[in-house]
Amino acid sequence: MSDEEHHFESSDAGASKTYPQQAGNIRKGGYIVIKGRPCKVVEVSTSKTGKHGHAKCHFVAIDIFTSKKLEDIVPSSHNCDVPHVNRTDYQLIDISEDGFVSLLTDNGSTKDDLKLPTDEALLTQLKTGFEEGKDIVVSVMSAMGEEQMCALKEVGPK
Amino acid sequence: MEDHVLSSVHSTVFKESESLEGKCDKIEGYDFNQGVNYPKLLRSMLTTGFQASNLGEAIDVVNQMLDWRLADETAVDEDCSEEEKDPSYRESVKCKIFLGFTSNLISSGVRDTIRYLVQHHMVDVIVTTAGGVEEDLIKCLAPTFKGDFSLPGAYLRSKGLNRIGNLLVPNDNYCKFETWILPIFDDMLKEQKEENVLWTPSKLLARLGKEINNESSYLYWAYKMNIPVFCPGLTDGSLGDMLYFHSFRSSGLVVDVVQDIRAINGEAVHATPRKTGMIILGGGLPKHHICNANMMRNGADYAVFINTGQEFDGSDSGARPDEAVSWGKIRGSAKSVKVYCDATIAFPLLVAETFASKRDQTCEPKT
Repeated sequence: MSDEEHHFESSDAGASKTYPQQAGNIRKGGYIVIKGRPCKVVEVSTSKTGKHGHAKCHFVAIDIFTSKKLEDIVPSSHNCDVPHVNRTDYQLIDISEDGFVSLLTDNGSTKDDLKLPTDEALLTQLKTGFEEGKDIVVSVMSAMGEEQMCALKEVGPK
Repeated sequence: MEDHVLSSVHSTVFKESESLEGKCDKIEGYDFNQGVNYPKLLRSMLTTGFQASNLGEAIDVVNQMLDWRLADETAVDEDCSEEEKDPSYRESVKCKIFLGFTSNLISSGVRDTIRYLVQHHMVDVIVTTAGGVEEDLIKCLAPTFKGDFSLPGAYLRSKGLNRIGNLLVPNDNYCKFETWILPIFDDMLKEQKEENVLWTPSKLLARLGKEINNESSYLYWAYKMNIPVFCPGLTDGSLGDMLYFHSFRSSGLVVDVVQDIRAINGEAVHATPRKTGMIILGGGLPKHHICNANMMRNGADYAVFINTGQEFDGSDSGARPDEAVSWGKIRGSAKSVKVYCDATIAFPLLVAETFASKRDQTCEPKT
């Protein structure tokens, strides 16, 4: 629709996907990369320097895309990777046959590469709302080259 | 009438005793009028009584372990091989010695006595706990210090000092250990994946002995002399902590205890025609593990226990050698002694009168 047609690729070649942060500074509710997966920290406990060696941080975190629980233990002075996590809102245009959604971006172009959410409740809410002809805005969470719909809201009746 | 009572009381109090002359040794301590002669002082312990006598007997048993040769056994099995009948072969076959000790002894200076024994291949199999290994390695990286039993725990914690009895180990020592060992575990994991190495506690310890490469470490000498060090409880110490942390960053290192139980029981079972002897300092896992292995060959021929355990609670740690005989862990015909004493006192003295003095005799006199 607009004059410029920008293709916003999901992986940005220039900027980095993560940034380093000292393990001792990562708190509950923050983000951390464990085994290459972007995760949200649900529990941190620190064991002080002792017989087991240097002081360590024990992280329990949930993968933001798969909801799997992951654990890691890191010396508190070490640097960990923290993912850049972005949330963007898009208006829903269409749900396609092959499991993708069509979204309207800020500058008026369409984004068609987002898959339907795997979460049952969200999927049902999306399909029902769309079939009823409601205006739906979806929130898309993106980190480390992956993205997923994480929430939606209905904005006023048609 | 009074005379009768008197003589009856007399015979009650002064009951005729059996003469022990010629049957038992007389009690006689060391006479310092002959000057301070340490070898004589130690030899006098045998007739000093109580635990000194037990230590004296333990010294005797260990010397018997060291002196025995297959040639001493006059009854030759008809179905033994030609080699076993050869007199010069029989002169060369010695007793196989199992040495076990708890980790506190390695924190103490007894570590250096043990290093001496391993350095000169005077023992054949070693069994210890995780602490018995890591304390030896850590001493190569940083020292342990003398403290006091009465130092308050909370104060020590605030200073980052760990107390082992009246010894102190700074936390920093364990940090150095962590920095040293984690890359080695990385290499071992790599070898497991790429070269299909299946690690066991004894193989892991041989590798650590090779890596520490320090002549003050008994583990280093065990690696050089090919003496297996068994440690089925490898995870119960700082070593276990390191394995735990390592598994988060790079998981998958496997340590197989089954292969090691085959190996140690094999050491006992295939010892024949050699006799076996056990020298065990302390109780717990090392004591039982060695006795159990010897049970596989119907019992050890010599046993020396040096520990402070008591039998009244039924524990294996406090059990006397005779209890082990009931299990078949020590032969009925065996020579065994228990010395109720802290091994930091008893063991260096025992080694002085056995292993070390025999070696001094066979070595050239120093100029």
